[in-house]
Amino acid sequence: MTAVQPTVLMSGRYQRAFTIAVVFLVAGWHLAGAGGQLLHNRSAYGSFAFQGAMWLVMALAITAGTVLVLRGTPGWRAAWAVAVIVLAASIAAAAASPAGQMLAVNWGWGSAGWTGVLVLLRRRFVELACFLAAEALGILGVQVWDGLHRADLAGFLALLAWSTGAQVAVAAGVRALDVAAGQAAAAARSEHAARERAATAEIIRAARHVRWLALQESAVPLVAELATGTADPADAQVRTRCAIQAARLRRLLAEGDEVPGSLVHELHASADMAERRGVAVEIETAGLLPQVPGPARRVITDTAIAILTAARSRARITLAAVAAGIAVSFVADTGAVVRLPVTGEGVAIEQQQDGGMLWAEARWNSR
Amino acid sequence: MEQPVTAAIIEDHPVVTEGVESWIRSDPGQRVRLVQMARDLAGLRAVPSADVVILDLELSGELVTTQIPGLVAAGYRVVAFSGHSDPAIVMETLDHGAHAYVSKEEGRDHLVEAVLAAAADRPYVTRSQARAILADQRPARPALSQQERQALLLWFQGMSKASVARRMSISENTVRQYISRARAKYAATGRTAPSKDALLARAIEDGVITPGEVTPYDSLARTAADPPSLGTPGR
Repeated sequence: MTAVQPTVLMSGRYQRAFTIAVVFLVAGWHLAGAGGQLLHNRSAYGSFAFQGAMWLVMALAITAGTVLVLRGTPGWRAAWAVAVIVLAASIAAAAASPAGQMLAVNWGWGSAGWTGVLVLLRRRFVELACFLAAEALGILGVQVWDGLHRADLAGFLALLAWSTGAQVAVAAGVRALDVAAGQAAAAARSEHAARERAATAEIIRAARHVRWLALQESAVPLVAELATGTADPADAQVRTRCAIQAARLRRLLAEGDEVPGSLVHELHASADMAERRGVAVEIETAGLLPQVPGPARRVITDTAIAILTAARSRARITLAAVAAGIAVSFVADTGAVVRLPVTGEGVAIEQQQDGGMLWAEARWNSR
Repeated sequence: MEQPVTAAIIEDHPVVTEGVESWIRSDPGQRVRLVQMARDLAGLRAVPSADVVILDLELSGELVTTQIPGLVAAGYRVVAFSGHSDPAIVMETLDHGAHAYVSKEEGRDHLVEAVLAAAADRPYVTRSQARAILADQRPARPALSQQERQALLLWFQGMSKASVARRMSISENTVRQYISRARAKYAATGRTAPSKDALLARAIEDGVITPGEVTPYDSLARTAADPPSLGTPGR
């Protein structure tokens, strides 16, 4: 669980900071830039009220866009709803401007472009390009309708270069920063994972040492008793002791480099407790096991503990790599159905009782 | 009464040999008779002295998997019995032509049955074999169906075949068929060996697998046309 959270948070935090910077840019532009121009030229418009209304519509669209982007990358419907509203408002405002002076008194083009940058920032780049092109074509259309002069075309191109150029540059810049933040987070993640692996290895090593010491006290005397004949293999109790010691030895041998995952490690720890009660536990793995996130691991180990606590004399735990995840199964002589944790965190739990034997499987899917 | 299957054991630890003897003795039907015990491969005769050889894969500290093709060529059926459970070793053992693989932990429950199945050239899949098949990622591995894979997984997990059948809502016979078919598919891949041909021919005869489901290789045509001449056991 700790392997993922901090780094995701870190990369997410940077991205949010970039988003907020763009929000300020757009809001500042609309208030000071567009708003200032609107007031400055108020006497030039045919209807100042209409221009003001369009400005307000765009202000509301920017507010809606801000809410959307602060909640994550917006879906295409929501993003494009905002984009189409600002597109329509800016072109309506341009169309209602006096012919011949349109470019000079136009306040909407810039605001519309920046709003597009805001809501389409983290969507595919081609969407933003389409939006900016549509906006530019709309303005050009109004210009052509009013009667296009050579001077107007030059002005249009100059404005296009300056405003659209700045918008594309900002969008590209934020993308580059996103990538950099992602790389920084990935580097931190791998470092974190390496640290966790080292810590896990140390825990396993220490646990193995403790177990080795325990073997000196439990398995070695048993072998000695068997050798001298004081322990009789015909005795059921001796056989149970042998089974438990054999399970411990097997586990000691299995805990090599082939079990790097902490899920296996945690299941071994759960098995320890059952073994102290005299339950012989075997743990086997099949295939290359995927890493399971913390919350899902907890559901699986809770299942293990519930079953191992109910097991009477033996339990088999297997971990198998299956398509898109892992199947952790338990077969134990519980005698009855066991109350298991609820399915959740991507883990589906099923059980089946046959006579005194319980089979249960906790299956985690990565998708 | 049918003749018991004869078996030889090659094992360098006398205590293990004694354990195997006791399992064979405690079989209620007395279906297997141990006719030879040897501590190394030199102890085996060139002409098969037993239907099945129970072979410890590690003799005097050395892996003897590469000796299996020689034994198979001499006409022995080999059941590997080993403390190793590494899937790669299991796969290599089967690829070399062993009929079955039984880990030492599984010996009590599976060794006698595996010997009997081997004597009849029938597939026998232990849980450690199922594990190795499930873990197999080699590019040349045979394609298993969803059902075969599921049956192997549940069997590996430790369920009885009856429980697997209940879980999959099919009959126990169908479970055996799925598992045997997966094993037969392995007999049709990799290096050629008379034991693999025999196993495959028997599987086709038993209706476990159809020739169409088998990835053909050169010797298959010969096997299908001309049933194996390796001494047909009495059962």
